[in-house]
Amino acid sequence: MSKPGMQTKKRLLVLLGAYTFLTFLLIIRVGWIQFVQGSELQRLAYEQQSRSRIISPRRGTIYDRNGIALAVSASVDTISAFPKELQDSGADLEAVAEKLAELLDMSKEEVLAKISKNSPYEYIKRKVEPEVGAKVRAWLQEAKIVGITVDEDTKRYYPKRNLASHVLGCVGTDNQGLEGIEKAMEQYLKGLPGRILSEVDAKGRQIPFNRERHIDPQDGYNVVLTIDETIQYLAEKAIEKAIVDNKVLKGAVAIVMDPNNGEVLAMASKPDFDPNSPFRPLHIDDATWNSMSMEERENAIYSTWRNKALADTYEPGSTFKAITASAGLEEGVITPESRVNDFTVTVGGHRINCWKPNAHGEESFAQGLQMSCNPVFVRVAQDLGIDRFYKYMRAFGFYDKTGIELPEADIIIHKRPTEIDMAVASFGQRFKVTPLHMVTAYCAIANGGTLIRPHLVKEITDNEGNVIKKFEPEIVRQVISKKTSDTMRKLLQDVVTLGTGSRAYVPGYRVAGKTGTSETETSDIDGRYVASFMAFAPADNPRIVVLVALDHPDVYPHTGGIIAAPVAGKLVEDILSYLQEERVYTEKDRKKLAEDVYVPDVRGKTLKEAESILREAGFEYRIEGDATNKDITVKEQTPKPETAIPRKSTIVLYTYKPDENDMVVVPDLLNKTVDEAVAILKGLGLNIKVNGEGRAYRQNYQQGSRIPRGGLVEVFFMDPDEADLE
Amino acid sequence: MATKTTATKKPFDFWIFITILILLSMGIVMLFSASAPAAYTYKNDIYHFLKDQLLFAFVGFIAMFVAMNFHYKKLAKLAPILLVICMVLLILVLVPSIGYEANNARRWLRIGRFTVQPSEMAKLALILFLSSSLSRRKDQLQYFFRGLLPYLVVIGMVAGLIVVEPHLSATIIILIVSSIILFCAGAKIRHFVIMAVPAVAGLGIVVAMNEYMQKRLFSFINPWSDLKGDGWQAVQSLYAIGSGGLFGRGLGKSLQKFLYIPEPYNDFIFSILAEELGFIGVVTVMLLFLVLVWRGVKVAMNAPDTFGCLVAVGITSLITVQVLLNIAVVTSSIPPTGVSLPFFSSGGTSLLFFMTEIGILLNISKYSKYERI
Repeated sequence: MSKPGMQTKKRLLVLLGAYTFLTFLLIIRVGWIQFVQGSELQRLAYEQQSRSRIISPRRGTIYDRNGIALAVSASVDTISAFPKELQDSGADLEAVAEKLAELLDMSKEEVLAKISKNSPYEYIKRKVEPEVGAKVRAWLQEAKIVGITVDEDTKRYYPKRNLASHVLGCVGTDNQGLEGIEKAMEQYLKGLPGRILSEVDAKGRQIPFNRERHIDPQDGYNVVLTIDETIQYLAEKAIEKAIVDNKVLKGAVAIVMDPNNGEVLAMASKPDFDPNSPFRPLHIDDATWNSMSMEERENAIYSTWRNKALADTYEPGSTFKAITASAGLEEGVITPESRVNDFTVTVGGHRINCWKPNAHGEESFAQGLQMSCNPVFVRVAQDLGIDRFYKYMRAFGFYDKTGIELPEADIIIHKRPTEIDMAVASFGQRFKVTPLHMVTAYCAIANGGTLIRPHLVKEITDNEGNVIKKFEPEIVRQVISKKTSDTMRKLLQDVVTLGTGSRAYVPGYRVAGKTGTSETETSDIDGRYVASFMAFAPADNPRIVVLVALDHPDVYPHTGGIIAAPVAGKLVEDILSYLQEERVYTEKDRKKLAEDVYVPDVRGKTLKEAESILREAGFEYRIEGDATNKDITVKEQTPKPETAIPRKSTIVLYTYKPDENDMVVVPDLLNKTVDEAVAILKGLGLNIKVNGEGRAYRQNYQQGSRIPRGGLVEVFFMDPDEADLE
Repeated sequence: MATKTTATKKPFDFWIFITILILLSMGIVMLFSASAPAAYTYKNDIYHFLKDQLLFAFVGFIAMFVAMNFHYKKLAKLAPILLVICMVLLILVLVPSIGYEANNARRWLRIGRFTVQPSEMAKLALILFLSSSLSRRKDQLQYFFRGLLPYLVVIGMVAGLIVVEPHLSATIIILIVSSIILFCAGAKIRHFVIMAVPAVAGLGIVVAMNEYMQKRLFSFINPWSDLKGDGWQAVQSLYAIGSGGLFGRGLGKSLQKFLYIPEPYNDFIFSILAEELGFIGVVTVMLLFLVLVWRGVKVAMNAPDTFGCLVAVGITSLITVQVLLNIAVVTSSIPPTGVSLPFFSSGGTSLLFFMTEIGILLNISKYSKYERI
């Protein structure tokens, strides 16, 4: 065998060179892929390798001003499937569906359809209670099921149900704010979502040994409202009752505001909804709901979502006279003592009369306000002239939105007003503003003349209680002078004390206010009026401004003074006593209070004792049963103890346990005078409480109802003229 | 170079031995890492591929030690017989009842639960035959018909039997390695050029007529054009390499091995290596192979005779060409063809023969004319 020659050795070196060259060429190629194309390739690879699930952040809590939670987020679980992974694991889909259906209270078919799908990810059931989630987790572990996960989620709860529902609003399935503060404060409440990242193989199954990476969600901030839960509750109950009492067809609104800082203490609007289930209106029963079409349902849902306090407009009617009066006083065209008359005034061919037939004749301006005489205000407006009158309308904020946190309706107001426009506007007709506009304007009248932006949010806090952001009262402008404001407070208090607002009178609380009744010209159904009452109290140092407005009351009379004023008065009384405002009684108040006496408890006493107690307290009495033996025990009495009834009422004492038969049928007292009503009820053995004077227009027990002998019937009287439009 | 020449026995080349130990160790670790997800998914045993590889590595070591101590000169006489046996086996593979078919190719013979590729053996047999014959008839190579043509016929026969299996990559490797042996033996450059003309033309005609090859070529040029089809492997391989960066994800932490790369323990194991060990790992492995090339060529240079020289260069080239082709394929540098990575890819026969070949190389190194460094 020959030895390798020089040529071979040269060629071997060439070969070594070639191999080395190619090796380095490939090293460069790998380097190119890893460093030049690396990030892009890595991104593309990551896209196919990773799967991410969102963890909802905990939405912030909404509190009332005293820290009572109105909207909270609770931890719940969401059950979802990775159908491919589940199918590939060879699990018995039928069995899995059956077990899941049982645990989640779903139909087996529904679950089976979801887990049999050819999709990478499916929700099986969202937002189940944590206990249910725990059960599913335990079962997954025990049965070694892969491809089904239980993830943390949060659910919005409104512990007070429909309370303040329009203010709070509601959230959708992804916890996003849909309405109200939930929507308006979304940026603070929502927080930042977290993620669960996991890596998967080419079949979409989670890679074993690789742990899921959690990116923690960031909780949302809390919103502290200016709303006071108790005042809100009182306001809602007040209008709920008013709706029933006055057969109100289109709902009602009540707003309570602190005039000194623009904080809204209550904003109630009916009909309302339960934000826990916002898509099912509360006021519709199941049978009706089931028979409704999708469109009807949608309309019903949106009508319950409407916040009438600011999403609807109305003609303010006579409540607006306070604005005309303020402008007139401020500009000096009128004083409270100015002599005016309310004879018919003709503007542009239209005759404008006082609501009272034959008018009140010559009176002071203060009386004109008390009696709500339209011609008086037309003349004030005419004295001001269009420019000055509308300057005040603008100053009071009627041409702008109030600037509250929630979306407001567009106002309908004259762009280029004429004489007749101004004439009717002077008493609040033919333009439309929101109820909140009126409250805001009254706040300016009540607080010394400053227009303040109304607001619902006091501050934003984090979970440690730190204040993230504080919303200070925002002064818009000075509208009228302190002096004019002081005058107006006195004038409006007189409206309640002496005028059409008498039914809002609350002994000791110096309620000021103005009635309003307006006709809604677009509506053709029954009761096409809005009866309203604007109040503030105490008149010398106002703490609250209250508006109650009833939309379409299907009763007669339907004026604000008769049906809205008592609601507003009662509401003012409840709120101020909750706020522990001290009552300052006038001499007249004391006298009136003394007329009512609480019924003493004489049950279990002998007749002899009972008689002397009652006589001493100024009551009359009648004995039912054996009255011969004065030592016999009183078994029962009507009215029951602790009822406040007028002095000289008759207490019925029973010496036996009265049965159902001793009942009296209540008669119809409509249009009876006070004397007639007293006589009729006395004759039947019933007691009477008289409210107002004139002729009866309402009684607390309806005609035909049966009450125990000796029971107290409350009857309301009025001057027949009052029933007409103001 | 006036050093005294000697053909007496010396210790084997330590560099080659150590390099092979390191490469094989890395290979087995990488194979375990790359194969575990697929082994778990399809065989329900993450050690499935590791067990086979360890078994063949063990048998391979025995084969290497046997070959190391088997005087290489005896192989010269055995070469023609070995080649004939290989031809018979290659024919047997093609017989439907005997050859084991997988993926539309008949490449294997079954022995118990294992399969054997006669083509692996044919590579070695052809190297031995060419080296032995050329060492005797080297001077004839300057003549085309008398010298070169008979070798081309033999090479053509072996290659022909393998290409009809079909096993294109093995055919290409055999052609390249044979050409290198002819080149080193002293074949005329002119003859290579003359052969290249019909070869290129022939290849052009084959590609023009073969739709399958066209598709492969097309998917090589733009693998993203058919991501879910032919381009899948190439793209997934690039994702793996690209995800590696400088230091890699870390050993065992590849994501692409989770069934994104089909059979990541076979031809594409280098991509997983690049993903887990990064550029550092890639350079390390390639430099180790380069050490092997350097020492292999050195063994050839210092071989006491032309047979030893040609066998050494043949074996070195067989390994190197496969390494280069494999890395070129997984980096999408050439059209895809199924070449495994020596000492890394799973595959019993292939590992057994590589170890045997290294044994032969080490044996030749014992007879080096020069002192070891």
